[in-house]
Amino acid sequence: MRILYVEDDPRSAAAVGEILGASGDVLVWEDNGSAALLRAGLEPFDVIILDRMLGDIDGLTITRRLREGGIGTPILILSALGRSSDRADGLDGGADDYLAKPFEPEELVARLRALHRRATGREHSAVILYGAFECHVKARTAFRNNRHLALSPKEFELFRYFMENAGEVVTREMLLRHVWKMDFDPQTNVVDVNIGRLRRKLEDGFDRPALETILGSGYRLLDGTP
Amino acid sequence: MIEARRSIFSRLVAGAIVLSLVLLAGLWWLTHQTVSTTLQQAAQAEVDVDLAGLADIYATGGRVELEARIADRIALTPMEGGAPHYLLADDSGRVIAGDLTTWPALDPTVSESGIIAIGANSKGFARAVQLGPDLRLVVARGIDIETPVLSGIAMAFAGGGAVFIGLVALLGRFAALGLQRRIGRINLAFREPQDGAGLAATGRIDGDEIDELTAHSGAALARVNDLLAAYKDTSEQLAHEIRTPLSHLDNRLVKALAQKPDTAIAERLAEARGEIRRIVQTLESLLDIAASKANRGDRSGLVPVNLSGLVTGICELYAGSAEEAGLELRWTIAPDVIINGDERQLGRLMTNMLDNALKYVPRGGQIAITLERGPVLVVADDGPGIDPRDRARIFERFYRGRLRGEETSGSGLGLALAHAIAERHGLSLTLEERETTGLGGAVFRIAAAA
Repeated sequence: MRILYVEDDPRSAAAVGEILGASGDVLVWEDNGSAALLRAGLEPFDVIILDRMLGDIDGLTITRRLREGGIGTPILILSALGRSSDRADGLDGGADDYLAKPFEPEELVARLRALHRRATGREHSAVILYGAFECHVKARTAFRNNRHLALSPKEFELFRYFMENAGEVVTREMLLRHVWKMDFDPQTNVVDVNIGRLRRKLEDGFDRPALETILGSGYRLLDGTP
Repeated sequence: MIEARRSIFSRLVAGAIVLSLVLLAGLWWLTHQTVSTTLQQAAQAEVDVDLAGLADIYATGGRVELEARIADRIALTPMEGGAPHYLLADDSGRVIAGDLTTWPALDPTVSESGIIAIGANSKGFARAVQLGPDLRLVVARGIDIETPVLSGIAMAFAGGGAVFIGLVALLGRFAALGLQRRIGRINLAFREPQDGAGLAATGRIDGDEIDELTAHSGAALARVNDLLAAYKDTSEQLAHEIRTPLSHLDNRLVKALAQKPDTAIAERLAEARGEIRRIVQTLESLLDIAASKANRGDRSGLVPVNLSGLVTGICELYAGSAEEAGLELRWTIAPDVIINGDERQLGRLMTNMLDNALKYVPRGGQIAITLERGPVLVVADDGPGIDPRDRARIFERFYRGRLRGEETSGSGLGLALAHAIAERHGLSLTLEERETTGLGGAVFRIAAAA
């Protein structure tokens, strides 16, 4: 992916640079809003990462100007302002995702991948196929090796989100936000327990595992083929 | 805008009209009485003069002369005042002379006077005297002249009064509209505080009371707006200045972990990262509590939220975790309970209540959630409950209860934040007495604030 990163703190920029360098992405760094607006208008990017509190123009204004200028590149706001009201400001202001510092490196990478995937339109089809799994979005039915999986409505939502991000890491925060519409972490292990239940339904009667736990960051849907 | 019935200006105008009506009626009554008394006094004076003259005539000319004079006077039409009437009679009441036909109920021995009927429809002022043995006289003056005078006065009062009250109403309405417009601007500014800054410019300290009120309101609103802006700036800067270095610190720990240190060191580093997360959560919760408290009573930005759906969803989310913790989580939710609120904050409130219950209710326990119209949301459990000494302070920041053992996870802010969110929505979060309701443990009740 080609990523534009707008951040006035060089240490944060260096840290993100290392993370994304390791995942093989190209990072273009700008340390002020005006230069970032100029560059975003001139060059194509897959994703834009914006800090909120910049020296000249704040991240929310940049988001608005980009959207007004017809630039639909997915925007992830990466900010030290992490309260749920801050997140709402960012998301209502036109950003596609919001991540607060400090963050898990895997979380950032997973979010960027998900944003990029959504922008390239792989999730809009009526039937999502991945390995042995089938997800019929309209009919709200799920299959593994053509065998119907009896999922509750919420389990189906969860399964669909995994299918939309098939093969990639999905974090707890992503699941909370997209499946349960919550932008904060409950103190109880609710996500893990719900994933555990989904996992049992996906794996019951099959030899191969369906979900892989990525320690410290989240889960990944496996293709489930023998 | 306030409806006309409740507007103080409509009431002032109505009050002025009623007061004017009462004053006019009073004035009319007073005039009526005065005119009436004056006319009667005039008639009395005429009667007394006449009577004195007739008594003289009787004394000098005797009864025959008196009869002749009475006949003369009856024949004469008076230039002014009421027509005179006479009755000369003997002690048995038999008419000797005069135009009255019956003796009125007046006692001649004490020269009694009073209003008597004259003929079928007239009234008059009369006085009776005993002129001599077996001779008594009544002299009367008609006071019918009173009626046209008084009805004239009544007409004048009715006509003039109508015009007067019309003017009062018109002027009152005009003045009220002006006041209403000026007060309305102040109210509007308080309703939409963000746009209230312009108010200070239009008010003048050297104008009338409302100008002064406008100026003070504008200044107060400007101060509130400044304070809110300063508060937002400060909390944002605070969050930024603490989270950024913590983020750098976290980064170093990530890098250290990436170098695959031995297990003991890796565990310590992971714990340190956990501590960083906790500091951040504490900071956020504190700022959220402050924001909720700052916005208490402010209904702007709140939209209808389906509480039934929200609470059901969160109960379903927690069901598995409760089961794994060996707890029975039940929920009874009335359908379509809607309140004006912030959905994320209300979700936070609900999860904080459930996090709290799941943390403190021991294995094998029960947690019951009920939502009824009102809204009334009750979170009850059969856990150890809250020690009576803790009840007053349970919703305070960083307060941890006595029965909560060695449990130290969490920030000690969950219930404080829940309480602040409830208040921000005009709800109250209270701890019920354990005897009254619930399962015998802690019973939290969220309901519309009294």
